[in-house]
Amino acid sequence: MGKKILVIDDDPAVVEYLTTLFEDNGYATCSARDASEGLEVARREQPDLITLDLEMPGEWGPRFYRKMSEEKTLKNTPVIVISGLSGHKYAINKAVASISKPFDRDELLRIVQENIV
Amino acid sequence: MFKKILFATSATGACDHAARVAFAMAGRFSAQLDIFHVIGLPTRAYSQVVIDAKTRERVEIDEEYCDWVKEELRVYYEQLLEKLAGNHTMEVAVGETHREILRKVRNDPPDLIVMGGSTRHVEDSAFRNVVTGSTFQRVAKAAPRPVLVITRPAASFWGGFSRIVVGTDFSEGADMAVEYALHLARTTGCEICLFHAVDISGLPLGQFLTQDDIEDRLRVARKRIRSRYVPQFGDIRNYTVDVWEGIPGLEIVKYAREKQADLIIMAHHARRAESGEDRMGSVMEQVIVRAGCPVLSLNRTVFK
Repeated sequence: MGKKILVIDDDPAVVEYLTTLFEDNGYATCSARDASEGLEVARREQPDLITLDLEMPGEWGPRFYRKMSEEKTLKNTPVIVISGLSGHKYAINKAVASISKPFDRDELLRIVQENIV
Repeated sequence: MFKKILFATSATGACDHAARVAFAMAGRFSAQLDIFHVIGLPTRAYSQVVIDAKTRERVEIDEEYCDWVKEELRVYYEQLLEKLAGNHTMEVAVGETHREILRKVRNDPPDLIVMGGSTRHVEDSAFRNVVTGSTFQRVAKAAPRPVLVITRPAASFWGGFSRIVVGTDFSEGADMAVEYALHLARTTGCEICLFHAVDISGLPLGQFLTQDDIEDRLRVARKRIRSRYVPQFGDIRNYTVDVWEGIPGLEIVKYAREKQADLIIMAHHARRAESGEDRMGSVMEQVIVRAGCPVLSLNRTVFK
């Protein structure tokens, strides 16, 4: 069974693209459309890595990260921020990487490979 | 809590992060958002010729030009306006920016003023993102309303408040900041993180302090916070008290980052509200320009 990646993004097209990309490269995936659903899925699925959008309806990405990092079983899960907002690399201090939309798929896969344990 | 929010904007990139927060807050609190822009300063008193603050061009002000600027504002914030569920107004004025903002606040008092960073900091300036702008300084010192300032993009990614850091130096102003934070916590259910930084910035300059001295000071400060503020918390149980040592402005920023706080509340001590010489305290200023979340600035007049 491949390592599992949770994709959190409110844009269904981005979710579809990322889950397909990861599955084609041997990873299992799960997804969520917002921060609260993301937290539920993360608790249930215990992913090995999370890709996180910043701007989402309701709570934004940094608040998801705060809640996630307060949970014993999730706090060390690597997070990659994927966002189109300027200054996104400073949004989540402890994220393992931060990449801009539109992104290079090979670069993303390299970052995932480097950080998934 | 916030039913009327005044967003004072230069409609430039310097205010984009503040716009994100202002629109998000208006949505969250179902508040009316008043978007206010000062076109520029007349070249002479009562002159119709004005230097446009955004384009730096000399323009002749008439109703048509004002309407054109309003339309430009509408286009600039089009995407955010589409998502805004509540009411909004759009107004432009001519004059000295801080005076016009203060006049607007006096005539049509909001519950909160939202402002962005300075527009004067050119890309290669050494002061870029290191000091706050003069308009913000003047408004924050004189406005009888809290001023929320967002200077970094990263400070605008939270989508609301739920964990507030209040920095205290045990001054009268800090007591007011704590009082305001408690009010916010009671009305919105936020968590409060009360923080004091013991100033040891003199250490690298030769000030002699043993580790026991520092830890004694930390203990005293913790005790002081407990006796001075905790009795006021009443039924608020969701709070933490922390004291760190270091350079106060930086420690507050670091503490907020570590707590992943989405708001910092601070009060400043300027007594002469309109005085141009009286700059805001350096701790407050450093927090504002460095924080990874919005900073709410309070002055004495907010509490009068």
